[in-house]
Amino acid sequence: MRMSRARLCAIHAALLTFAALTLLPFFFLVNNIFRTNAEFYHAFFSFPKAFDQAIRLTGRSLAGDEAPVEVEDDDGQTREVSKAEGIRHHLARAGQGPRRAWRIVRPYMINSLIVSGLTALGVILFGSTTAYILSRYRFLGHRAIFLLILSTMMFPGVLTLVPSFMLVTKMRLLNTYWVMVLPYVAGGQVFAIFVFKSFFDGLPEELFECARIDGAGHLHLYLSIVLPLSKPVIAVVLVMNVLGTWNGWLWPFITNPEGTHHVIASGLYVMATTSHASNFSTMFAAYAIASIPLLILFIYATKPFIRGMTSGALKA
Amino acid sequence: MRLQGRSTLTCYGIILPTMVMLLTFVYLPVVWAFSKSFYAFEIGGASRFVGLGNYSEYLLEDPTFFPSLANMLLLTLFAVVVRLTVPLIVAKLIHSLPRERWRYVYRLVFLVPIVVPGVAVQLIWAGLIYSDSGLVNEFLRWLDLSHWTHGWLSDPRTALVCVAMVGFPFVGAFEVLIYYAGLSAIPQSVHEAAAIEGATGMRKFLQVDVPLVLSQLKLIAILTVIGSVQGFQSLIILTRGGPGFKTTVPGLWMYYNAFSFQRMGYACSIGVLLFLLILTLTILNLKYFKSSETVQGI
Repeated sequence: MRMSRARLCAIHAALLTFAALTLLPFFFLVNNIFRTNAEFYHAFFSFPKAFDQAIRLTGRSLAGDEAPVEVEDDDGQTREVSKAEGIRHHLARAGQGPRRAWRIVRPYMINSLIVSGLTALGVILFGSTTAYILSRYRFLGHRAIFLLILSTMMFPGVLTLVPSFMLVTKMRLLNTYWVMVLPYVAGGQVFAIFVFKSFFDGLPEELFECARIDGAGHLHLYLSIVLPLSKPVIAVVLVMNVLGTWNGWLWPFITNPEGTHHVIASGLYVMATTSHASNFSTMFAAYAIASIPLLILFIYATKPFIRGMTSGALKA
Repeated sequence: MRLQGRSTLTCYGIILPTMVMLLTFVYLPVVWAFSKSFYAFEIGGASRFVGLGNYSEYLLEDPTFFPSLANMLLLTLFAVVVRLTVPLIVAKLIHSLPRERWRYVYRLVFLVPIVVPGVAVQLIWAGLIYSDSGLVNEFLRWLDLSHWTHGWLSDPRTALVCVAMVGFPFVGAFEVLIYYAGLSAIPQSVHEAAAIEGATGMRKFLQVDVPLVLSQLKLIAILTVIGSVQGFQSLIILTRGGPGFKTTVPGLWMYYNAFSFQRMGYACSIGVLLFLLILTLTILNLKYFKSSETVQGI
């Protein structure tokens, strides 16, 4: 069925409107990373002045204008410098927010990488091994165990938040990485087991039978058959898990009362409750920096992820 | 493969870490949630058995109970309505494009906001959209409507509406992908048959597409309800439940009781009540909205 040109244009127009409205806050976010508070208050809808001036100076120096220019330092003093120096000065001013933000969030980012990395590793390891056993072997209680694992899905976070906090306090885990990693792996592996198991259930038994006849043990089967085959499933589990652990801020916030192990999400909340909050470019730059690792993850994992989501890695 | 003896032991050994973690970090807190809800205590302090006292106090005496329940219901209802409509419309628009390349590009575009942490998104809405010199007020000033500008999140009349509007225009990437998968699964022959019957445009969408993605709609509906009933984290960032109790929800009150007022048992009882509510809604959903095909669970 062919579609009329007008109809096609209307669909594109509608989709572009939705996309523009969706991305609008992020556009203003990026714009304000390079602007001062004064610009934010007095000229909400304009572009960064520092870039504006840098571009103007570049234009003038390209036109052959060699005269020195005046720039204003942070302390309000003005001085005369060459055009190249002036351009550098304005770009440095635009970069102030990101530089300051990076100094603040660097420890948070490192903590996040450690926590999300360890959690993803644990979830994929324990999720895939348990799913492999439950999918390929029949032994006493295998059904009961699977039910016991699955039924944890019916307990919402709101039920366990307070008692979990009492538990980790009693276990003396507060202000450590483990206070995040252990509960995250415990909860995250359930979804992984579910997804891995439905994938393994679909694999032909002959595949495993042959290897077993050749004398392959569990470890060999797992490394040479299970892992290589489940790459698309690992992509879905990895993305969903990292999304969750990277975004979770409440649990890291309440379990780090001394503030020593804040991850990026709880770190952003902490920043917003301190004096940093009054410095908009720093805050906005911190939000942007916090998004970069997930952006990188998505650049690598989007294709298998979209394919996994649409082709039924998530279906029961 | 059927097993006995040593191999069975190996199997138990391999799943042992999973079970230990689940019993420690999921089942033990679940048991505690119920058992500790009958006590009044602070962390590290002496605990006193109060029976159903926490429950009766919350349901009968707590001044936040009715306003917070009303807020939660309104926010949940609103979330369900927008998540069942907007992403479906967007998914349908994307799906009706003739070229795969464009369909892929649009799916990708709507996936982009996912990389921004939720806490940052809410801080952006509080600081960049709703603040005194934020997008909404500046836009009104630009339109010469300065007398309409005000503190959107601090005005009792607008706070709840503004909380609900966070995330506008509500094109959730996961919902779009799930609806898109549902629309892709509809065989071409169905569309051809509908075309022969003379169904076009809106009527075709409502009578052919919507019934055939019903299982996806149900899935999103129940996930949204479960998420909204226990969703309070964004409110800590946006309004802290204020002004007054205008944007307080039960989950938020549980959080404040546990971590600000040190009433752990009372907080547990609110958590248990919310769990029972979610459980009831899930069972109702499974029982009364079952279609011929099984509901797909995530």
